[in-house]
Amino acid sequence: MLWIGLLGIPLVGALVVLLLSDRAAKLGAAVVAALEVAAFAALLGGVAPTLNLAWIPAWGVRLHFTADGLALFLLGLTAVMTLVAICASNVQYGRAYFGWILFMEFASMGLFGAVDLFLFYIFWEVVLIPIFFLLTGWSGAKGRAAGLKWLIMNLFGSLFMLIGVVAVAVIHNQTTGSLSFEISQLTNLPVSSLAAPWLFGVFALAFAIKAPLWPFHGWMPDAYGEAPAPVTALLAGVLSKAGVFGFLRVLLPILGAELHAYQTGLMIWVAVSLVYGALMALRQTDMKMVSAYASLSHLSMIALGIFSLTAAGILGATFLMVAHGLMVGSLFLILGVVEERTGSREFTGLMGLNQGAPRLATYFLFFALATLGLPGLPGFAGEYMIMQGLVVHEVGFAVVAGIVLIVAAWYMLRLFQGIMQGRPDHPAVVDMNAGQVAWLVPLAILVAVIGVWPAGITGHAVPSLYHAVHFAVAQGGIR
Amino acid sequence: MQGLTEILILPLIGAVTIGIFKSVVPRRLAGIWASVLVLASFGLAVAADMHLGGLAPGHREISVTLFNWVTGFGPPIAWNLYLDPLSGIWLLIITGVGGLIHVYANGYMADDSDQGRFFGYFNLFIFSMLLLVLAGNLLILLIGWGLVGLASYLLIGFWYRRPSAVRAAKKALVMNTVGDVGMLIGLALLYVRYHAVTYSALFRAFSHATPGAPFFVWVAVLFYIGAMAKSAQFPLSGWLVDAMEGPTPVSALIHAATMVTAGVYLVARLYPLLRLAPGVAYAVAAIGTFTAIYAASAAFFQQDIKKVLAYSTLSQLGYMFLGVGVGAYTAGVFHFMTHAFFKACLFLAAGSVIHALGGEQDLSQMGGLYKKMPWTMLSFLAATLAISGIPPFAGFYSKEAILGQAFNSGHDLLWIVGVVTAGMTSFYMFRLFFLTFFGSPKNPQLYAHAHEAPAVMTVPVMALGVLSVIGGFFGPWLNRWLAPAFAAYPGAPHAALETGPIGGTLLAVGLAVVALVVAYALYIRRETPARAGIDSWPGRWMLAAYGLDTGWRYVAVVPWMAAGTWVRRQMDRGILIAVVAVANGIWLWAEDLRPIQSGYVRRYALSIMVGLAVVLAYSLVKA
Repeated sequence: MLWIGLLGIPLVGALVVLLLSDRAAKLGAAVVAALEVAAFAALLGGVAPTLNLAWIPAWGVRLHFTADGLALFLLGLTAVMTLVAICASNVQYGRAYFGWILFMEFASMGLFGAVDLFLFYIFWEVVLIPIFFLLTGWSGAKGRAAGLKWLIMNLFGSLFMLIGVVAVAVIHNQTTGSLSFEISQLTNLPVSSLAAPWLFGVFALAFAIKAPLWPFHGWMPDAYGEAPAPVTALLAGVLSKAGVFGFLRVLLPILGAELHAYQTGLMIWVAVSLVYGALMALRQTDMKMVSAYASLSHLSMIALGIFSLTAAGILGATFLMVAHGLMVGSLFLILGVVEERTGSREFTGLMGLNQGAPRLATYFLFFALATLGLPGLPGFAGEYMIMQGLVVHEVGFAVVAGIVLIVAAWYMLRLFQGIMQGRPDHPAVVDMNAGQVAWLVPLAILVAVIGVWPAGITGHAVPSLYHAVHFAVAQGGIR
Repeated sequence: MQGLTEILILPLIGAVTIGIFKSVVPRRLAGIWASVLVLASFGLAVAADMHLGGLAPGHREISVTLFNWVTGFGPPIAWNLYLDPLSGIWLLIITGVGGLIHVYANGYMADDSDQGRFFGYFNLFIFSMLLLVLAGNLLILLIGWGLVGLASYLLIGFWYRRPSAVRAAKKALVMNTVGDVGMLIGLALLYVRYHAVTYSALFRAFSHATPGAPFFVWVAVLFYIGAMAKSAQFPLSGWLVDAMEGPTPVSALIHAATMVTAGVYLVARLYPLLRLAPGVAYAVAAIGTFTAIYAASAAFFQQDIKKVLAYSTLSQLGYMFLGVGVGAYTAGVFHFMTHAFFKACLFLAAGSVIHALGGEQDLSQMGGLYKKMPWTMLSFLAATLAISGIPPFAGFYSKEAILGQAFNSGHDLLWIVGVVTAGMTSFYMFRLFFLTFFGSPKNPQLYAHAHEAPAVMTVPVMALGVLSVIGGFFGPWLNRWLAPAFAAYPGAPHAALETGPIGGTLLAVGLAVVALVVAYALYIRRETPARAGIDSWPGRWMLAAYGLDTGWRYVAVVPWMAAGTWVRRQMDRGILIAVVAVANGIWLWAEDLRPIQSGYVRRYALSIMVGLAVVLAYSLVKA
């Protein structure tokens, strides 16, 4: 029943918000999002609830959602970040905007919860729609182009994924005689060695575009740059996780055995992506782009943890998905405040906002430190676990990841210091108001708590994480 | 139980409360509150150490486990706290010397409008440093390690309006991250092999291992990289000199007395690991010795009072590493202790001078201050004698213990370099002392306004001055205290203090006295100006610390920047163009199919569904 609430609250809420006046829409949306957070809190209490109904019996498609360890905290991330993004949004955006945001929450919840491959695919596509409208409707000058790029690239990827989804079901049908899209039924799929790389490739392509990972990030600069800050925060904080989540939810259980053959190749690919993002972040003069490429780099780090095929690496990836969502989402929201205050996204060395806006500087620094992996904050915890996985497989990858951590400290400090420190360029800058502090404080506390106590998440995630990727475990793939 | 959590938590409470309330309470209150908490922590630390002393010598350890840090892939890693004689010493110095410096800072920062922020950071530093030494496993140590780096970053860049301070802070954090990463990888390797990161479990396992295996060499090297970065060993040393951009109490506490000695603590803590990698131990000693003489020579022509002290810190850290590298663990810890006394004293006294001269740090603007600041001068003198290794001041005993043991263990080359460095130390320190306090006042205006510091500053300085005089007599006690700690696991057969040959001691003291006399002749009798010699090529070369920063710039900064620029200009543009090209291609193709393309997303979604249905239907029929 909880699942009906989890999906129903934002969906119905989106419709209700559309009926409100433009001025009341923000408040209404915030109430809906708060209800969703409460629904998530109810999830934490008991056993992982599932919803499992027949949907299209002829194809064996079921409405099957679960909140296992893999999904649980991503659902929480979605609920929390949506609420914060709504609070951080400009009330003048109007009811349609808030409606789309809530619809996006619905789609993300469905995507993270779905354990039926067909259902997963449906939500994978549905998510594109609200983002497209938010990009084209409420963005900067290049918003339309950004929206089209987003749509075309992602459709390109997901059409291939559709082939994969159908192929997987067909292969399953041929071997067992029954038709099902249930991911747990599709594990241990006897794929011919000829088909395996193709099947793997079509899924990986779709996931890599969505995350995005290098070199499939063509849509990212425009979309992250042009979207309003709350939308960027949701894109980078929540939806980017769908890409790497796909590897865990779909590829590992279904094609885990095949993964070993390409493990080294995949790790080299994401390692390149990791370094690429860091290098790009180092040389940007647009503050949102620093954060965007940093995010690309961190997603590559998550993917590296997954492809290490070790318990530590996969657990670290799961943890870092949640932590990164909170950290980078907050960072984009703060950058949005900075952009609003200074009227520009360019930072040209030592702008000195700290003097006029000490609170803004303090929170900025906190989230920048969390993002760069300061020990004691969650970025470090996730990166440690991933490192722990990497040294099992190959120390060389750990060294590359380590060097990227050094560069990360460099580019994040360059960003923070460039905006906040030095002699003030904008002496009259206005500090954050109470409303902005009100949504940042809980986020900062949340980030601090999971940094000091990562076991709170890993302890919850582990049992069902093993279940979710049990195929790879059974193959002795997880060490 | 035995108050470990309380010792740790008090400064954290200070940092948090000051952070929250700093703008609503009178600003003087922050400093008082912060100092009280650190001194209370000192009281608890004394109590904890006394409790430890009451236990049987072989069983002096207290372990507390708070809660799990992470679980899920092998045995959990918990928040373990651990106190043994080694961490007990650090505990006393951190809270004791740290408390004195807190008190001093009440005077030093009195006119700063941002006092609250300063003391919040200061307490955060004490908390982090305590966490570092009270950690019971390598992961918690690493968390403390990273947090002290953060506190150091915040305090170096405290005056964030100064671009030089901002740059220095960034450099410090990035260089320290190099060390963090080394330790992170080393830690991960150990966990994979032993499924544990607590000291006791690892050291028990090390006891059965054979020395020299490549695994241990790699792990030891990785941890040593961490120690190098934090303790500014060559070539990761440049950041410490730049760190003088922070307020002077920061230089005294973090960049002299405590944080930069964390590397020494780490090496001493991991002595069972060093046994397994003897080559690394030798490298620790050799790089330490090189750092000692390198930094001592770089101090010769420095013009800034704090930079002289910064280079002297580097040099003294080199001695400590020489000590722990040759296995003279107690001697290394002993020198850490005396150094904390005399170097904190020197920095605080220098801070009083800077304060009295309205922020002037240039030696060529000083002179004759002994009349105006007698107490500061006397404390400075005591500490200078101590660092120069003149008996019976504190530094003599600890330095001699290190050099004697280097000699006894057959490290002749390192020993002779260490002895020569002792002479050089005496020269540049007395140059500093004479130029500051004696000779004629070089800047009459500044001199006229100079005054002795208020009691809140002079009392801590004098307390540290007294400790610089008597600190050397703590040796035998320290020996007894640390002996059981270094006997718990194999690897430290020569941990106890030893005395070297009397001839060696005489040579070192003789060189120091000669250097003192030379400095006297040059800077008092002949009144050589501070700037003398800096235009000669050796002067320029030494002033720039032999171009280390420039070297780093070309080795590490420029290539990364260039790579970043290249990637951005060439590759990323290419990818973005390709995307547009593909999109245009699809668009053109779509133009041909226009009748079925409405451009509405819902129509696309419908097409996806229909397509899916067709494919499925086909496969169903076929099956």
